[in-house]
Amino acid sequence: MRTNKFGIRIAASALALAVSYGAQAVTDEDIVNDHKTPEDIVSYGMGTQGQRFSILEDLNTDNVQHLQPAWAFSFGSEKMRGQESQPLIKDGVMYVTASYSRVYAIDAKTGEEIWQYDARLPDGIMPCCDVVNRGVALYDDKVIFGTLDAKLVALNKDTGKPMWIKKVADYQAGYAITAAPIVVKGKVITGVSGGEFGIVGKVEAYDAHTGELVWMRPTVEGHMGYVYKDGKKIENGISGGKPGQTWPGDMWKNGGAATWLGGTYDPETDSLFFGTGNPAPWNSHLRPGDNLFSSSRLAIDPDDGSIKWHFQTTPHDGWDYDGVNELISFDLNENGKTIKAAATADRNGFFYVLNRENGDFIRGFPFVDKITWAEGLDPETGRPIFTEGGRPGDPSATEGGKGEMVVAQPAFLGGKNWMPMAYSPETELFYVPSNEWSMDIWNEPVSYKKGAAFLGAGFTIKPANDDYIGVLRAMDPKTGKEVWRYENTAPLWGGVMTTAGNLVFTGTPEGYLKAFDARTGEELYRFNTGSGVVGTPVTWTMDGEQYVSVASGWGGAVPLWGGEVARVVKDFNQGGMVWTFKLPKDRVASN
Amino acid sequence: MKTMLAILTLFILAGSAVAREVQDGNELLNRPAERTYDIILESGYLKVGMYENFPPYSYELNGEPAGIDVELGKRIAEEMGVEFRVHWITPDENLGDDLRNNVWKGHYLAKQRLADVMLRVPYDKQYAYMQDSTGEYINEQVVLFGPYQQETWQIAFNPERLDSVETVAVFQYNPIGVEIDTLPDFYLSSGLRGRLRDQVRHYPNVREAFEAMRKGEVSAVMGMRSEIDHELAKPENSAFRPADNGFPGIGKQVWDVGMAIKHTHRQLGYALEAIVDKLVRNGEMDALFADLELRYSVPQYYREFLEPEALARAEGEL
Repeated sequence: MRTNKFGIRIAASALALAVSYGAQAVTDEDIVNDHKTPEDIVSYGMGTQGQRFSILEDLNTDNVQHLQPAWAFSFGSEKMRGQESQPLIKDGVMYVTASYSRVYAIDAKTGEEIWQYDARLPDGIMPCCDVVNRGVALYDDKVIFGTLDAKLVALNKDTGKPMWIKKVADYQAGYAITAAPIVVKGKVITGVSGGEFGIVGKVEAYDAHTGELVWMRPTVEGHMGYVYKDGKKIENGISGGKPGQTWPGDMWKNGGAATWLGGTYDPETDSLFFGTGNPAPWNSHLRPGDNLFSSSRLAIDPDDGSIKWHFQTTPHDGWDYDGVNELISFDLNENGKTIKAAATADRNGFFYVLNRENGDFIRGFPFVDKITWAEGLDPETGRPIFTEGGRPGDPSATEGGKGEMVVAQPAFLGGKNWMPMAYSPETELFYVPSNEWSMDIWNEPVSYKKGAAFLGAGFTIKPANDDYIGVLRAMDPKTGKEVWRYENTAPLWGGVMTTAGNLVFTGTPEGYLKAFDARTGEELYRFNTGSGVVGTPVTWTMDGEQYVSVASGWGGAVPLWGGEVARVVKDFNQGGMVWTFKLPKDRVASN
Repeated sequence: MKTMLAILTLFILAGSAVAREVQDGNELLNRPAERTYDIILESGYLKVGMYENFPPYSYELNGEPAGIDVELGKRIAEEMGVEFRVHWITPDENLGDDLRNNVWKGHYLAKQRLADVMLRVPYDKQYAYMQDSTGEYINEQVVLFGPYQQETWQIAFNPERLDSVETVAVFQYNPIGVEIDTLPDFYLSSGLRGRLRDQVRHYPNVREAFEAMRKGEVSAVMGMRSEIDHELAKPENSAFRPADNGFPGIGKQVWDVGMAIKHTHRQLGYALEAIVDKLVRNGEMDALFADLELRYSVPQYYREFLEPEALARAEGEL
């Protein structure tokens, strides 16, 4: 990294001209209607609600076996590690990010590179959570993405040259950005990633044209939010009203709750939905209280950053159950009524269905086979009923010895982690990429940090079953029932997409892009991309043919933590490609 | 005149080279240089790893490395007949991470960058031989050796606010500053069944906690003794006093601090061990600390076999 050059390359300028000719600027309307326009993908989530559902049905359960590779593109260099990006497509150009804050514009027909941008990362940067990047946002003539040193960068979509660069947070204080930003009403909305301590999560909005800060909203109780007008910073209310209600002492000042996975947007209720990470410090015995707004979902007003409502999935978290997982808006048709609902599958193992107008709890149920830390959810409020003895012990209470070991399931990597699920309005099912694992946690009797004695916790992750960890599940949000499941040897770490062609796509660490029947879970298609798939597939139509694309390149948090899971994944090779498939025209009617 | 200028330039270059980090990794293979003892001697420099922005141990003062670990690094390099080069370490979440990133493997964003030796590594046999759940030795890639100091916890207080600190119980009623996410933070936040918790104020480091004490935000500060001594030696903190309370139930009251090398570089380790052993025994280590107005304690390691007279010499009392 230290030799990294500030690099922009423009390959074959004639080609660049050819594809940009006739290209239209991306508008707010394009973004809000993204889920209805299958010829492009201009938002993370294939629609701002995040359903990841395509109305395309050319490719379907009858002909998916004829899906064939059209081209593959290498991200190049020795920088591999996890490729967690979701490609965007506009006017025949694919915009995709790679590890180490790299962006590529690629001719979507041929796979030829148009330009590449490598963010110049500072020396000595220590990102907390690997070097992944999950994708770009498109707006007007700009391609906007976040970097590992916590900057937002807007590039010209034709040349890849920076148009503005804004520092969102200080990387030296432990901040980074790995999520794809979203654009709502001309504003780029981003969260921040952060390490274990000392940080405070926030959501910020920047003017997409100029990069000027418009508002900022801290996600920990007690911190002031601001709006910025005509160069003035105006107070816009303290998050949660005042400090010290759900935190002891001054701990709210460094409360954590990083917004590291970005958010979704629902135009019907005009709300941004952002999740927040676990509270700091990790030892929950130091901070009795609910510790708002950690491990929560927040509904935020996109105009000024005010919090409309919140729902906390893990109050007083002691297991590192981040609450960042995406909240997907959908219409819940029940008893003849349509409820504006939203759903999320939390790291803590519970699936929540909320009323997205007010945050009311509708229902919740486990989506994993076993949950040890809670006996269930309060049917009225959705608050967990903690299991006695299920909380990891207080390290300060044990002297010398290891202390009592607590087994917690799911493990801190979650029943589901960052990888987005998908919702099909046709089957009315959620397709959830999940994992079955537990963790042992104990107090480490000898531990040191920065030259000093310390109190640490030791932990190890264990597969819950001998023969599989990953489970792709079809969950019914009305009944809480699992309709079908697909079991995978390695943990699932890639996103899911579903289509009107009754298909569910996802990738596996073993390298496969797989397609399943959305109603039965029958595996209908597999193609090995050469390295583990931890990206999120997309589909679109171009020149009358349906395409599917997915980034390939094993990495992310699983190989970093490992534990006994490492045995399953240690032989997977790294990579860095984007694979594109299409259904040839003459195969569409092959049923 | 020309020669004078050339010599002068050379002087300036040589002077600034002392502070500078050196990049000697293999760019083509993107891996660190394999620097054994002989290669270090041949190269003419020793890369000494230490935490950045960590006074009084290692930090930058007027653009030059300064602090007790810098002084020790320079003495070691001098004894080896090579130049001292600093290798700054950004601390990660725990010592294991720092050893991996700086001593044996390299950080994944800077794979060519390793220190020849890392200082301020706690010397603890229990830690060195720790095993994971499958029985593997967790720290088998490194050798922890050469203890050179014993570190301990210390409180400083403002006598205008507190008459004395007999026990930590006074911090049920008086605010105390700590560096966030350290043992003092955990100790005070959970001590006496959490009765001190609301009085604990968190700061990014001990220096800023002292700043808060000057502003009257806190009545006391807890940190490592060297950090506290360093602050107390500053004129702006002259009104503050060190406390002599104990820390019941803190888990580890004192610990030895030494060095770490990659396990394949044991010959280097033996050379370094001999140098540091001499500095500890002849009282030079104590003198290095005294120069910086810091108290020095000989590591427990030496206390187990040194005669009283030898111990007194090592602690500068002879």
